[in-house]
Amino acid sequence: MPFVDYYQILGLDKSADEKAIKNAYRKLARKYHPDLNPNDKEAEKKFQQLNEANEVLSDPEKRKKYDKYGENWQHSEEYERARQARGSAGQQQGQWYSGGDAGGFSDFFESMFGSSSGFGGGGSRQARFRGQDYQAEANLTLRDAYETHKQTLTVNGKNIRITVPAGIENGQTIKIAGHGGKGSNGGPDGDLFLTFTIQPDEKFRRSGNDLHYKVDLDLYTAILGGELVIETLSGKVKLPIKPETQNGSMVRLKGKGFPVYKKEGQFGDLYVTFDIKIPTNLTDRQKELFTELSKS
Amino acid sequence: MENDQLIAVETFCTYYNVEYSFVESLQHNDLIETVFVNESQFIQLPQLQKIERMVRLHHDLDINPEGLGAIHTLLDRIDSLDREIVLLRNKLRFYEAPQ
Repeated sequence: MPFVDYYQILGLDKSADEKAIKNAYRKLARKYHPDLNPNDKEAEKKFQQLNEANEVLSDPEKRKKYDKYGENWQHSEEYERARQARGSAGQQQGQWYSGGDAGGFSDFFESMFGSSSGFGGGGSRQARFRGQDYQAEANLTLRDAYETHKQTLTVNGKNIRITVPAGIENGQTIKIAGHGGKGSNGGPDGDLFLTFTIQPDEKFRRSGNDLHYKVDLDLYTAILGGELVIETLSGKVKLPIKPETQNGSMVRLKGKGFPVYKKEGQFGDLYVTFDIKIPTNLTDRQKELFTELSKS
Repeated sequence: MENDQLIAVETFCTYYNVEYSFVESLQHNDLIETVFVNESQFIQLPQLQKIERMVRLHHDLDINPEGLGAIHTLLDRIDSLDREIVLLRNKLRFYEAPQ
């Protein structure tokens, strides 16, 4: 368990007075406060360290203990026994902010001052009312996101089964109410914020609710017209090809795109772009025919 | 009257260790809305997250209600910009994906 330098965390030297500690804490807390840095895990971690440093250095009793035994925290039990013998209760005004998923303090802190829940010896820490919000991430394929489906996730060791609505966007966050941390004293549980990452598909490219698909078309069908069976996310469809179809031209298949999020029965469109393939390894006869064609 | 959707302001102040005047000043600055039922004042559950954030900022950083109002506006703006970034990233992804 590494030693934690609380003075360094607050950018102070050991001679810092109460006012300097308070100022340093406030200044850095403004910078790293999790509410001002949403979804920034680094800021959250930093803020926790600041809180821990402030808890210790702003309390004369704890600061004294830390200054005396900080780097030799293993011997702090002796100090604790002496302190108790003096009958000092060391009542604290515990900070109520729990901050972030991890919530507690470092192992170093717990080893020196006891677990955070019993911090201060007097149980003065304010009870929290609403549970913490949790953040989680989930990966989906484009084809997963095409259909409403149920998915089981493990969040903080608990399995929860959720319904993922069709049409969810890459980077979209949904709130799953009541699946965050437990509320205290009968308060509501926190929420789970789940952000989805949708892996790109090999064939289909998505643009909002529309899909784009590039298909190969042979030269003869492009010139003479015909039919082409193409894949869509809802199955195969026959696509009539107009004679003299140009390379790079595009057709729209209405309603064959991506489902519109939370609007049942509504779909975007599928845009099919033709990539005309020029035949290779022509026989002499074929070359002859093309030459004839070019002269006509 | 307190139920799943309504939290008495008094209960809120006790649990969060804030003065009633603080909740009142948030209300006067149009930062939160409270409802009265049988002459008792309640906070609606959907507002709780927002109020908790303001209480934390007030406690941790000593920010007054006017400052909380400004922060709240800016955080809302960040949220809307974040959503726009996701939208633009998805558009960019479309053009960058191999065709």
